[in-house]
Amino acid sequence: MAEPTSEPIIQLRDTTKIYYKGGEEILTLDHVSLDIMEGDFVALMGPSGSGKTTLLNLIGGLDSPTGGQLVVCGQDLGELSPRELAQWRANHVSFIFQSFNLLPVLTAFQNVELPLTLLPLSRAERRQHVETALKIVGLAERMHHRPDELSGGQEQRVAIARALACDPKLLLADEPTGDLDAHSAQEVMNLLTSLNQEHGKTIIVVTHDPKVAGCARRQLHLEKGVLALDKRSTDRHPVAGPRA
Amino acid sequence: MRLLFLALLRKPLRTFLTIFSIAVALFLYCFLESVLDAFSVGVNMANASRLVVQHKESLAFQIPISYRSSIEQCEGVNAVVPMVWFGGLYTPKDQTGETREEFFAQFACELDEYMSIVPEVVIRDPEQKKALLADQAGCVVGDKTAERLGIKVGDRVVLRSQIWSQPGSKPWEFNVRAIYTSDNQAFDRTMMLFHYKYFDEKREFGKGMIGIFVLGMKDPSRFHEIATAIDRRFENSPFETRTVTEKAFNMQFVAMMGNLQLLLRSIGSAIVLTMLLVAANTMMMSARDQTREMGILKSIGFTDGFVFRLLIGEALVIAGMGFLIGAGTAFAAFNLAEINPKPDFFPIFRMPPESLLGAAGIALVTGVLSGLVPAFVGMRMKATEALRSV
Repeated sequence: MAEPTSEPIIQLRDTTKIYYKGGEEILTLDHVSLDIMEGDFVALMGPSGSGKTTLLNLIGGLDSPTGGQLVVCGQDLGELSPRELAQWRANHVSFIFQSFNLLPVLTAFQNVELPLTLLPLSRAERRQHVETALKIVGLAERMHHRPDELSGGQEQRVAIARALACDPKLLLADEPTGDLDAHSAQEVMNLLTSLNQEHGKTIIVVTHDPKVAGCARRQLHLEKGVLALDKRSTDRHPVAGPRA
Repeated sequence: MRLLFLALLRKPLRTFLTIFSIAVALFLYCFLESVLDAFSVGVNMANASRLVVQHKESLAFQIPISYRSSIEQCEGVNAVVPMVWFGGLYTPKDQTGETREEFFAQFACELDEYMSIVPEVVIRDPEQKKALLADQAGCVVGDKTAERLGIKVGDRVVLRSQIWSQPGSKPWEFNVRAIYTSDNQAFDRTMMLFHYKYFDEKREFGKGMIGIFVLGMKDPSRFHEIATAIDRRFENSPFETRTVTEKAFNMQFVAMMGNLQLLLRSIGSAIVLTMLLVAANTMMMSARDQTREMGILKSIGFTDGFVFRLLIGEALVIAGMGFLIGAGTAFAAFNLAEINPKPDFFPIFRMPPESLLGAAGIALVTGVLSGLVPAFVGMRMKATEALRSV
């Protein structure tokens, strides 16, 4: 079972994010400083508008901080151009969204293959990666189905397979169980937990759900853009074993 | 590329309708260009080595055939052929026994001389040509008219002229002795030509008067000098002449259509433009629908440039397919299958090759303009904003 290392994979130093709307400044993250170790499983919690998703987007390189420093996987993201940032995302980080965000015109196989087309892989190698990822999430038999032919839980598992396909160090999930029923939500969390425990992936999950947060080793509470609580869990909820 | 084509199949009905509307617009454009080209077909078929002598005032007035010997004496002229516009209606019976009126151009002329200075007229069978020249009531019909009206060698064609009558109002009868064709694609293959002598003997009035003289020149570069010399010869005579090149002569007919052409072009352009704007709007809506997908692609690691190329590529593929279907159908119909929507009005109806370039240009501009705005917006939009869109 993988444990977090002592090496930080994410370092925030006085990181600030300000949005401008209608000429008004909205301070979403207020001088947040934080280290997240490689292999950790972190739940980001807090009320709506507290800055959880903003923090997740900054860590994933989808957005840029207004101030401070942000180093992820050894790279200061503030130094990268938009094009370099896109390439960095393709190599280091994957997202899992609440609404799955699969491309409706592609099959499960093609959706999972999509990020691999950005890497220097042969067609056979891509196929192998896709099949492995779909096998991990237990959807090898549904690989030729389109998203509208899958249940919500299956769609989210395809999204997780897509996130896994490039074998990123960092998985960022924004309310991954928000649109799922209790059973599917449990399945998804089992999967994420096993990816953390068995494959050593660093996972950050934004959630409102204490049960989901209970799967994480560490819980960070944000309030009005400020890190209000940083709690390391001693009593993680037991989850089922890893999938095939 | 696969992603681009799959995106087109996202809403197949909308994609099909958009392609179809562009195709219809470009077909209409090609059709309109073909119509406008058909109006000026006479200009295209004109031969630089020929001049036309007509009455100075108008084509409606005749000139005496006696001028011929005087014109022949002009230096540089090697042949002079008198011609008269006949203006006859052909009234064949159809399968139900009802008669219908068919129109095509007919001229009385000196056939042997005419064919010597108009080599575009080709009678493939020498026996037909021999029979034509031997029969004073003989006529030669263009293969397109012969095919359209089912006329063949040996038939007797009866015409009623709207201008010329015979004593006793008898109809005009001609023996079809030959069918002509042409190796020149731009030459009129719908005419009927018959002997001037036969016509002049039979007509009730206007004997000795003709419509135009067609002249052959030894040196076409001297056309201005020759034309001036001819017209000067008949200055202050009862029938003053105007001598022009065959091209300028045919241009008169195009000029008569001047306003009609402008009107047609204006209406056609407005229709085409409207249809293209509708298509462009649909393409923009389609691109907007994909905003969230652009956010997904960006979050995965695709660059802004990729998103730009994908969206503009989609618009270009739709416009390109519309071009292939619309312009391709027009080309196949008018140039390969030789469909002529009004054969009695347009002797030659072909889509000019430059229309293909024009249609390609319109398709390209439609694709770029309709794709540029959403592609630019998609490229500039942050992934986080795109992912928030519904």
